Amino acid sequence: MRKSLVIFVFFIFLFSAFKSLDGKLFSIPKGFPEPVYDFSKNVMTENKILLGRALFYDPILSRDNSISCSSCHSMYNAFAHTDHDLSHGIDDKIGTRNAPALMNLAWQKMFMWDGAVNHLEVQALAPLSHPKEMDESIANVILKLSKSPMYRKLFFDAYSDTSITGEKMLKALAQFQLTMVSASSRYDSVMNKQTIFTVQEESGYSLFRKNCNACHKEPLFSTYDFANNGLGLDTTLNDLGRMAITKDPKDSLKFKIPTLRNIEFSPPYMHDGRFKNLRSVLNHYTKGIQSGATLAPELKATIVLAENEKVDLVAFLLTLSDKKFTFSPDLNYPRELFLKYQTVIK
Amino acid sequence: MRIFILSVLLSLAHLNSKAQTDTIQIYFRFTFENDPIQFNKYYLINNEDSLEISALKFYISNLALLNKEEVVWREELGYHLIDAAFENTAKLNLTIKKDLFYDQLSFDLGIDSLTNVSGVMANDLDPSNNMYWTWQSGYINFKLEGRSNQSSARKNEFMFHIGGYQFPFNSLQNVNLKLNQKDSVNIELNLAKLISEMNLAELDHIMSPSKVAVEMSAGIAKKFQIMRP
Repeated sequence: MRKSLVIFVFFIFLFSAFKSLDGKLFSIPKGFPEPVYDFSKNVMTENKILLGRALFYDPILSRDNSISCSSCHSMYNAFAHTDHDLSHGIDDKIGTRNAPALMNLAWQKMFMWDGAVNHLEVQALAPLSHPKEMDESIANVILKLSKSPMYRKLFFDAYSDTSITGEKMLKALAQFQLTMVSASSRYDSVMNKQTIFTVQEESGYSLFRKNCNACHKEPLFSTYDFANNGLGLDTTLNDLGRMAITKDPKDSLKFKIPTLRNIEFSPPYMHDGRFKNLRSVLNHYTKGIQSGATLAPELKATIVLAENEKVDLVAFLLTLSDKKFTFSPDLNYPRELFLKYQTVIK
Repeated sequence: MRIFILSVLLSLAHLNSKAQTDTIQIYFRFTFENDPIQFNKYYLINNEDSLEISALKFYISNLALLNKEEVVWREELGYHLIDAAFENTAKLNLTIKKDLFYDQLSFDLGIDSLTNVSGVMANDLDPSNNMYWTWQSGYINFKLEGRSNQSSARKNEFMFHIGGYQFPFNSLQNVNLKLNQKDSVNIELNLAKLISEMNLAELDHIMSPSKVAVEMSAGIAKKFQIMRP
């Protein structure tokens, strides 16, 4: 009797262990490292993800209800914003940096191009209150949400509690963003031995391993460190990157290394969106590097790529495209929910 | 039956533990010279300078009691947002073991670095309390806003948002106070003294972690003192 009880308790424990790893709602793709994000402090549930998803797509977060997160982070562009080198916010104001693509956020420790934000859960505060982005205060968002029947229901379903707070809102937003996992590209299929590269892609992969992998490290295709990749200073912006945060001259011109996953869908490139296509990016790395005190050591020796090698490298980069991700019904605009509550979304 | 005995025992234990605790009441008192501070009132200093305080908010954490320099009680994970405009926030009740000897109170002015990097928090630490920077992560440990004719900023405003948790701009400060009374502690922060040490003509705002912010935080921490009866 006692033995069977022990076994029963053991199975309960096993079951709960699997549950708490959010097996269904979040799982670590094969070959990926352990996430940085501590899921135990914000246990994922479907209702919280749905609330986060509604918030992500709802312009209620902006001062005049005109701009949502998705305004600058569109799913079809891997949650980046094409056609704008610098982000485009409230009242048609133009920001100072390129809206980055969002994916695999559970593996990232610092956010924003300069690492100004130290945790995914507090990241949304930055665009929300920026005068050129959403120009709103979190206290006022809470007020607006508290008046909305849809959000009263969504918050109650998520937290079994009638209070709407900044903490709950930000944790739900983080949960939705944690589900933006991209790991179903052609590259991933090759790594999982489901298919093989073409000869050209294989050649591009070798070139990538030789020239790019130090900073754009597999399988996330970034170390998520900060580096000066030799871009000349744009004197219309005078953006010194990470140094603005740390005030340390050693961080001058360093920006967060972006992932290369879904790069096909997320032009323009670099923190200021100065390059419109991958060809310009490769030309920068082969002949555009500006040397300087903080230049990444990996870029001190000139990268040499023949024209055909550039073509091969681009062919490889295109294997990082993940259409399951950019057309994911789970990450898309929650049309049915908004229709049900007849929320007007521009 | 067994359950009944257990619950009786538990409730007895509960009663017992209640009887074995004491409560210390801590009051923060905000004064201007010898009187309680009034918000949005014009003070005249030395018959020439005018001064008005519009906001005073700060965090208290890591409260501890010491006896002969040794910690005898510590409040775990206690973070208190004190807003001088709301008297109820300026009063803290500490529950301690009965007959505990202590002669010193210690607390941190601000929020520790671990909490600063651990994501969004609830209640007093909720970012909607306007004590969290949005453009750069981190709590504002101490906020003082007002007007002075010394300030050359727009509308003569001054605005000090003191925070920063990362080396070398960590502005968290410890305050240690020798206690001369039991059960109820009155801690005074005299704004007239604090502001007399500031040069508002030269520095009318701090809004980000910096060396100046760290220096100011150290100066502020020294102004907390036990109120003389």
